[in-house]
Amino acid sequence: MHLIDVQTGLLANNDAVAAENRAMLAQRGIYAVNVMSAPGAGKTSLLEKVLPLLAAKYRVAVIEGDIVGSADAERLQKLQLPVEQINTGGACHLDARMVHHAVHEVVHGPADVLVIENVGNLVCPAEFDLGEDDALMLLSVTEGHDKPKKYPLMFRRAGLLVVNKVDLLAMTDFSVEEAVQAARDVHPGLEVVRTSCRTGEGIADVAAWVEGRIAAKRGLGAPPARG
Amino acid sequence: MHEAGIAEYLITVAAQHLQRVPHGPVRSLHVRIGEMAGVNPDSLDFAFECLTKGTELEGARLAVERVPLQIDCGACGRRTVVEDYVFRCSACGSEQSSIATGRELQFVAIDTDDPPEEIARASH
Repeated sequence: MHLIDVQTGLLANNDAVAAENRAMLAQRGIYAVNVMSAPGAGKTSLLEKVLPLLAAKYRVAVIEGDIVGSADAERLQKLQLPVEQINTGGACHLDARMVHHAVHEVVHGPADVLVIENVGNLVCPAEFDLGEDDALMLLSVTEGHDKPKKYPLMFRRAGLLVVNKVDLLAMTDFSVEEAVQAARDVHPGLEVVRTSCRTGEGIADVAAWVEGRIAAKRGLGAPPARG
Repeated sequence: MHEAGIAEYLITVAAQHLQRVPHGPVRSLHVRIGEMAGVNPDSLDFAFECLTKGTELEGARLAVERVPLQIDCGACGRRTVVEDYVFRCSACGSEQSSIATGRELQFVAIDTDDPPEEIARASH
């Protein structure tokens, strides 16, 4: 019998590229947020509402991840923002290598903020670091309030939980309180915003959260005081 | 679904290591998977089996060691097991904690038979 020692992380290849992406973005002071949810939770609709608020203050670039097609990218292009479409060709998530080229494009263009819309999926995207600063996840009220218990990794990774489609609450048995409690069991202290892309509720709060995170990154990135 | 990609990387890394040393048939690949790694061992096993057909790894076993999800409490300092993904110290109830174990996704080692004598001798 013969034992060959390996000791390698099985996401080491992804994590190495994610670290490159993160370093490229940091060098240009660009804040990046990875937007994730189940299919149909309203990622693109939320971005259609939130990005104009951010674009009033920052130069925003978008990477749009989809398995096939460019329907979502076309929706966001109407906002007159640079959008890079990535088709994963069947893969159920974006990984760091897939976005690497697009990140390269973004850091060589005018941008302060990079928004990455991941493929709709609550499982796989949670496992793949893209090099972002924060993960923003949406849970729509039509999905059910038990989702944090079923997909703990995603809720653990999220920096902000957006409970979307609250205009439909009366038509569902969804309990915001139970959903938030379940999410905070997995991720104590997780920040939560309730939104409706139809009524506009909470949209400004999501933009304000992102702005706060940008400010925090800039604060950290500022050169140390001399003295 | 992403288990196939991980199995592919596992096979690539295994090939790199196997190339460097004389060895007999591969018996097993030792992998450590945390409870919260986001990887399903059965799916990984299935992907591994499919992707190794007709290769030198065909028939090798994926030996999976599961690692429990544990947190270190920021208040009382104790390490406790997380039940049902509720991240609360089961000793003192504090929510201030960091994950200690359970996120591992590690390729640990390859277990092979000894190389046939003539190969072992030739490499010395």
